[in-house]
Amino acid sequence: MTTVEKPGAADPTTGRARYAAVGERQPRLEGVQKTTGRSVYAADVQLPGMLHARLVLSPHPHARITTLDASAALAHEGVVAVITADDLGRAARDGSNPARGASNRADALLADREAVFAGQPVAVVLGESYSAAEEGADLLNVEYEELPAVLDMEAAMEPDSPLARSPVSDIDHTEEDAHVTIDVKSEEAEGRPTNIASHVSFERGDLDAGFEQADLVVERSYRAALVHQGYIEPHATVADYDPASGDVSVWTSTQGQFHVRDTLMRLFKLPETKLRVIGCELGGGFGGKMIQSATIATACALLAERPVKLVFTRREDLLAATPTPGSVVRLKSGITKDGDVTALQATVIYDAGAFPGAPAAVGSLLISSFYRWPNLRTDGYEVLTNHVSVGAIRAPGIHNITHAMEQQMDEMARGVGLDPAEVRLRNAVRTGDPMASGKPFPAIGMVETIEAAAAHPIWQEREQARTRSTETTKVGVGLAVSGWLGGLQPASAELMLNSDGTVNAVVGAMDISGVNTSFAQIVAEELAIPVERVSVTTGDTRTAPYAGISAGSKTTITMGRALREAAIDMRQQMFSVAADQLEANAQDMELAEGEVRVAGSPEKALPFRRLASITTGFGSLYTPIVGKGAISARVQAPGFTAQLAELEVDTVSGNVTLKRWAIAQDAGYAINPLSVEGQMEGGTGMGIGIGLSEEYLFDEGGHLRNAGLLDYRMPTAADTPDIESLIVEVPSEEGPYGARGVGEPSITAGPAAIANAIYDALGVRVTEMPATPERILRALGRIAD
Amino acid sequence: MAKQAHRLTVNGREHDVYAEPSRSLLEVVRDELRLTGSKEGCGTGDCGACTMLVDGRVVTSCLVLWPEAEGREVRTIEGLAEGSALHPLQRAFVEHGAVQCGFCIPGMILAGVATLERTPHATREQIRDGIAGNLCRCTGYQKIVDAIESVAHASSNGEER
Amino acid sequence: MRHFDYARPASLAEAMEALRERGEGARPLGGGTDLLVQVKEGHRRPSALISLADVPELAGVHVDASGELRVGARATMQEIGDDATAQQRFSALADGASVVGSYQTRNMATIGGNVCNAAPSADTSPPLVVLGALAHVAGVNGERELPVQELWSGPGQTTLEPGEIVTSFVLPAPPAGAGSHYARHTPRKIMDIAVVGVASYVELDAGGVVQAARIALGAVAPTVVRAPQAEQALVGRALTEEAAAEAGRVAAGEARPISDVRGSASFRRYLVETMTRASVLRAAERARG
Repeated sequence: MTTVEKPGAADPTTGRARYAAVGERQPRLEGVQKTTGRSVYAADVQLPGMLHARLVLSPHPHARITTLDASAALAHEGVVAVITADDLGRAARDGSNPARGASNRADALLADREAVFAGQPVAVVLGESYSAAEEGADLLNVEYEELPAVLDMEAAMEPDSPLARSPVSDIDHTEEDAHVTIDVKSEEAEGRPTNIASHVSFERGDLDAGFEQADLVVERSYRAALVHQGYIEPHATVADYDPASGDVSVWTSTQGQFHVRDTLMRLFKLPETKLRVIGCELGGGFGGKMIQSATIATACALLAERPVKLVFTRREDLLAATPTPGSVVRLKSGITKDGDVTALQATVIYDAGAFPGAPAAVGSLLISSFYRWPNLRTDGYEVLTNHVSVGAIRAPGIHNITHAMEQQMDEMARGVGLDPAEVRLRNAVRTGDPMASGKPFPAIGMVETIEAAAAHPIWQEREQARTRSTETTKVGVGLAVSGWLGGLQPASAELMLNSDGTVNAVVGAMDISGVNTSFAQIVAEELAIPVERVSVTTGDTRTAPYAGISAGSKTTITMGRALREAAIDMRQQMFSVAADQLEANAQDMELAEGEVRVAGSPEKALPFRRLASITTGFGSLYTPIVGKGAISARVQAPGFTAQLAELEVDTVSGNVTLKRWAIAQDAGYAINPLSVEGQMEGGTGMGIGIGLSEEYLFDEGGHLRNAGLLDYRMPTAADTPDIESLIVEVPSEEGPYGARGVGEPSITAGPAAIANAIYDALGVRVTEMPATPERILRALGRIAD
Repeated sequence: MAKQAHRLTVNGREHDVYAEPSRSLLEVVRDELRLTGSKEGCGTGDCGACTMLVDGRVVTSCLVLWPEAEGREVRTIEGLAEGSALHPLQRAFVEHGAVQCGFCIPGMILAGVATLERTPHATREQIRDGIAGNLCRCTGYQKIVDAIESVAHASSNGEER
Repeated sequence: MRHFDYARPASLAEAMEALRERGEGARPLGGGTDLLVQVKEGHRRPSALISLADVPELAGVHVDASGELRVGARATMQEIGDDATAQQRFSALADGASVVGSYQTRNMATIGGNVCNAAPSADTSPPLVVLGALAHVAGVNGERELPVQELWSGPGQTTLEPGEIVTSFVLPAPPAGAGSHYARHTPRKIMDIAVVGVASYVELDAGGVVQAARIALGAVAPTVVRAPQAEQALVGRALTEEAAAEAGRVAAGEARPISDVRGSASFRRYLVETMTRASVLRAAERARG
């Protein structure tokens, strides 16, 4: 164990705060189990008498269900039940039917008489085997009367557009709120029903005057495709119901087990004393793993009174889970020849699909908050269509707006002949600057982050890189900057001192990014013991203290604080017992090498093991040592990122080859640099896919044509360059040790960096994302139409 | 439809299986043999999460009918470590931070094993080519390539793998 | 998967018998990488799959004394791509086999499956066409052979009669001065399907003049198609940049692509032009050795 004089003192050479356990590169606690195949994911759960569920999906984007005849399916060998929306009232304890007239996706388990997107689950077939259920699903006779489908988000906003679905009320913003905390509430549609589910706007200064002052005004619109989070584990749930005791147990893949519990309680009116949600090891979520399989599987188990396994096929996951919205962003912005931005007019439109839930508020807030616009007007819209309803992704909505804003910044800087990095630095927001909403930014490191990227060789050597261009291979370098506010949610944690002097921590937060390892580091730090002597367990909803959804880059900064509080609580309890035993003052105690010692008299010490035995033994006068930590979080810890892409474009094939990549990101303080880099690299990888190859491709009738991983093209290792991570550390106000959330910013800037590099290489803008070979060749005018 | 009996050899152990022939090797190994380390990410051979070694060659076991594996040596992630001794790639994946959600990892490690069998001193480019059939969404592949490369280097430096 | 019956015969005769016995719903199973996906997605509902894995007559890549290449129908993409003779003398075929899917796919997928799946985007099909492959087919009435392109009647459809099995592809020995090449366009570098695939084969005389040329295009028509006018445009002249460019333009005019999820018709036509130009130049380079 490294000992340091004073925890938190600056290292004389690096200037970085030094601690014993936090700040070290710590391999994951559960890493071994994941490399040997021992970790248990939801689909690995197998119960006696378990039924298999297969979904029947609507083939139409908008249709009335006229016939739903299950007789042939039910007659098939091995088919046990067919469940439709009509049956759901029997699943709820009070007979209410959650799907009837549901406004929200979580409630609309199955299409209730009307299907509102192609891929919406219409029925579930339960079979004794997977194949029996599958064959039963083939035999289900569903007939539809097709209704006009609303497929274009801009056309859907017109007053005379047909409605994508019945008017909505009670919009559920859980997913957006899980990711970001903003003091902005969007107006929900009033009066005559339209497809605009919500509208939010921001205004500052005098727009006309601002454009008047500009030496250059750039006006462009940008499009982003609907994309999937791309977790490799499809949605999966095993739900069990014991009719005798009333116990309901749900093993599921989710980012928020308490969210699942609360939703199941609400939908089926189950008492939470009878409901146990076990969040299994999660095979990737990225904002997309909330609840989709748990509601359906639980309804099936309640109705069949047997355990039910529902695992989405990849096709179903692409068609019927909650991908993240496509968008149209229209920008008009002005800049002076000195490089000062003068005015921004922005319209941000997200295609929410068939249920509300698109991040219009945060998207329109952040598109106008990262630079010091003296004059601005931003309008954000969330529009309902008959596409699949959307959910969150890492920093939901932000890769869309960054792709627009950062191309706009690039074009403005080039237009007035200035260095794009310099223009960003000149206009970047600083701590205390107002967001578009007027609320001031807490401590932020946008400037430091841009500086780190601008000093990197990829940026410094961009002129030399371009000289490698040939007649058909053009080299370019692009920079883009973005950030994410992050969410806030209360958190709680418990620590127990074990009889061998080790410590067990129990949390309820799902470990989606290695947070449990960081938690162990925090506990080890505060108790001055090696990380190996701390275990962290994710309990279930009956055994763990409450935790929010692991989303919004907030798990480390909120739960980490709760654990730190719990460790401090445990320390105080140990000091108090030791003081009594050692006949000293509790204030004079210190921790070292797994012992409580009297400061200055190391021979007067009590090992943790001894403390455990005297606080748990028969007739002990002391209470067992149990540390508790519970916090509420008030100040966000926004994280900024600046990314550099160096690439080659083959001007004949349109193919892009990424050559080098660097990502600078403000982590506040990297509690575990190994996992911080992992988050930066992983977000970069997603950004690369979104920037170059991933998109939902619909035909004219609104049917998804690439519902598989061959044609929904996520980058392979061969498409991905080496990624260099530059960790910037500008401490946050509230995160433990100054840490910031790091999960989300990394996805935001990559697609824009690619688009700017393509411009650098070719001199043409690809304003529609992803920048596929065909779009690049069209921008070059190579394809005649 | 009639079940069939076939003998499977998985990780050196023989199993007599009686099941419908229309099931995949992945499904039977997971559900009947209860070796759930191999994962199903797509069911169509496009993600590599179900990768197994059959007679030493990587296959996507979601597209192998289980009776096809009779008479062949099947190796899954569970057969890689010898007792408490992890395979060098397993150790390297943990140490390099190559493991995040872990869902792709069993298949990824087996693809790494096959890559290093083919090219023991594989370059980063050869490693990227060797694992291109295995999608990972968490890591951007950076630390996965680092981990495999570290084992390739160890072997080229004459160290025991 | 939905139920079907399964058998794994040990000889060609047994395989033929197994197919005959189970009637029209039975299909031969190669590597399964296409067929099982179609079964899972409900596009094909076979009553039985007859595995060809143990049929010895279908195995291997063999070259005979005359230089003719016989590729067994169950030779895998990896076997073919790794085969030294294929790489040196039937380069287009090795090119095509080497780009299919991933290592996993190539270890499983067979050439018989790739061809008989009859996808217009199949990566070994254009190479087989330009290399003049004959498909050997075994059926209840004995064996027959036919030019490989006569196997296809439409996307996913073959001219095979029920009970017939392709046993091998026989590629004549290329004369001295011959070279071939296959390339495809995909958005991802690996793990993808051809948006367009182009195979070309040229024979040059000592002076570099084209004696014969064959060009086959994948994914631009319901089946793999030749581009006869483009081939004609090359014959009798040196294979210069200009000649290649002309062949590309002509081939683009001959292609009849559709717009789909992988690319628009005009994009595909553009690719046919640029890729044909590049491919014939590469084939000529190989012909010169």
